Amino acid sequence: MRSLLLRGASLALCLAASAYQAAAQDADTIKIGVVAAESGAFVSAGHTLPAGVGLAVKEINDAGGVKVGDKTYKIELLKRDDRTDISTAIAATQELVRDDKVAAIFGSESHDFTLAMAKITQPAKVIHFAGNSTLAKVLNPQSVAPGGEDHYLFQSEPQEFQRSGSTARGVLSLLTPLVGHPLKKSVVIVGNDATGQFLTSYYVKALKAEGQEVPEVISYPPDTTDFSPFLTRAKSLNPDVVHFWYNGDSTLTALPQALELGVAPSYFLFGVDPGIWKERGLTADVPVAMSCVPICWGESSNANAKAYFTNYFAAGAPKGVTSSVSLLYYDYVHFLAEAWEKAGSLDPDATVAALETLHHKGVVSDDLSFNSSHQVTHATEVCAAAPGGAITCAMQQPPADAPN
Amino acid sequence: MDILIQQVLNGLSIASVITLIAVGVTLIFGLTGIINFAHGEFLMVGSIVTWIAVQQGIPFLPAMLIAILVVAVMGFALERGLFQFTLTRPTNGFIVSLGLIIVLQHVVILFFGPNQKSIPRPLSGVWDVSGVRIASVRVMVILVTIAVVAMTFVMITRSRYGRALRAAVEDRDTAALMGIPVRRYITGVFVLGSALAGLGGALLIALFPVTPFTGGTMVMKGFAVALMGGLGNLTGAVVAGLILGIVEGFSAGYGFSEWTDAYSFGLMILVLLIKPNGLFGGTSGPKMA
Repeated sequence: MRSLLLRGASLALCLAASAYQAAAQDADTIKIGVVAAESGAFVSAGHTLPAGVGLAVKEINDAGGVKVGDKTYKIELLKRDDRTDISTAIAATQELVRDDKVAAIFGSESHDFTLAMAKITQPAKVIHFAGNSTLAKVLNPQSVAPGGEDHYLFQSEPQEFQRSGSTARGVLSLLTPLVGHPLKKSVVIVGNDATGQFLTSYYVKALKAEGQEVPEVISYPPDTTDFSPFLTRAKSLNPDVVHFWYNGDSTLTALPQALELGVAPSYFLFGVDPGIWKERGLTADVPVAMSCVPICWGESSNANAKAYFTNYFAAGAPKGVTSSVSLLYYDYVHFLAEAWEKAGSLDPDATVAALETLHHKGVVSDDLSFNSSHQVTHATEVCAAAPGGAITCAMQQPPADAPN
Repeated sequence: MDILIQQVLNGLSIASVITLIAVGVTLIFGLTGIINFAHGEFLMVGSIVTWIAVQQGIPFLPAMLIAILVVAVMGFALERGLFQFTLTRPTNGFIVSLGLIIVLQHVVILFFGPNQKSIPRPLSGVWDVSGVRIASVRVMVILVTIAVVAMTFVMITRSRYGRALRAAVEDRDTAALMGIPVRRYITGVFVLGSALAGLGGALLIALFPVTPFTGGTMVMKGFAVALMGGLGNLTGAVVAGLILGIVEGFSAGYGFSEWTDAYSFGLMILVLLIKPNGLFGGTSGPKMA
């Protein structure tokens, strides 16, 4: 009996010591979380989130940490795989917010998931960054004002009319000299899912604002592999440009088929990095434009991007169609650390106030800042491969206002 | 007119890929009763093996043979290690195959990453006949499909093995009493179906890039064609594959393109309502005493 009591007391002492140690560690650490698809259908874009956030966290910690007031903190990153499943994303967010008590959350890659996650992060006053261009549906000056429903939510990708506008301008400006005559007629081929429908409505408006005739938007079921009937339909419309809009993987499946069928004198591939174009040894006998979200890793007009992607891939991240999506998160970890330092506090309201006024020098732009709806503005990079293989890139500034 | 002819050719090309998958599905499901929904992942593994082989500098043809062999061996191992224990309870086999889908997808992601994989086209020529463009690689796939289906048809309908197999489908116990090694034959059909998936995977990656998730979409259409044609009926699989391919091609080309899949599966539902055993009648799977 005595032995049992002694063992019990020893165990209690050990537990108390561990708890004290954990508390001490917590006191010197800021926990942040990332929720993204590291498996499932969205994995291609999803796995770039923890990779980008992880790189920024490592850089901050290697540089000594975040100095908040008189104290310096290390950042601890907690990664959660949402498995491309909204229920898993919600459960992971609840765990991070309630159990792990994170100060900030990054993710997810999917608009719907982000909205569900925000229902947990916002009441808990957890700073939430999401790279979804579609968050304009919920973010406005009233909703992000103090006491508003989404006061702690920040959109780290430009609004869709800006991204579409910047992209359309870039595509037409790069392809026109390569084709050798004015481009008048565009056909858009897009995956028929919620994101595709939403994004296409903006892109078609952006093309029309640039003077393009768009006779038809051809939708295909998601997961289509044989695009030949859709492409033959596009060919019958005699387009100057066929725009493969939004899903990089589908786009790379469709392009070789389009080239075989001789559908158009030029093409645009949304969300395909020139790095993938080069790595796969792709070629075309007509000009092909590509755009990245937001900056390309294979070729870029942005001087900061090269150093970033060198570090990003050196850290073990795979080279993918959408590796650049990581930049919608990487910059904002540094931005958040700067906000904590400026606020001199980890208090969520003080942090939001700092985020609202700061101008951060990031990779994507030298001047990243949030507008009164917590949305960022910057250009989207477009590159074009000439038939000879030479690739040129440009970043056209987005329009200030949405086209009618 | 050239657009119409192009759409007919597109439909034939779609039909050839779907038919190849459907033949594997109809053999396994129709003749062994195993509902292997992971057949699409077998196909995906065939694509990945081909991709690895081509990456190592092996030409496409031997790479394709390696893929067939690897997936056949995988099929043998899975039939012996898993599916043989579910033969009397097909629902268990179905659930096992659902689990296999996740396992195979994530094994591929773990070792080869989630990104798309592609290989250079084994044949890159494109013929232009009065404005109709015909890619030589698609012609190759159509010809291979015709050859494989013909060989399988002869084997099932004319050979001693095929006759014994069909007898086993009618009544396993009686076939066993007549000296037919039913269990071994079931394994043989499963391995043959798996080998066809390996071949399909190799041909698929010759046409299109693949991801670890490519199999799911393909197998749904494979099952649709197998059911429409009649389970275990190769002629039915070919005809249903042709119908589905042409319907897909024309709906994408002239109808509401976003509903292409809906047309295909709508047609399947209609056929099964009118002819529950499929267009050409099927086995309804093996009968157990």
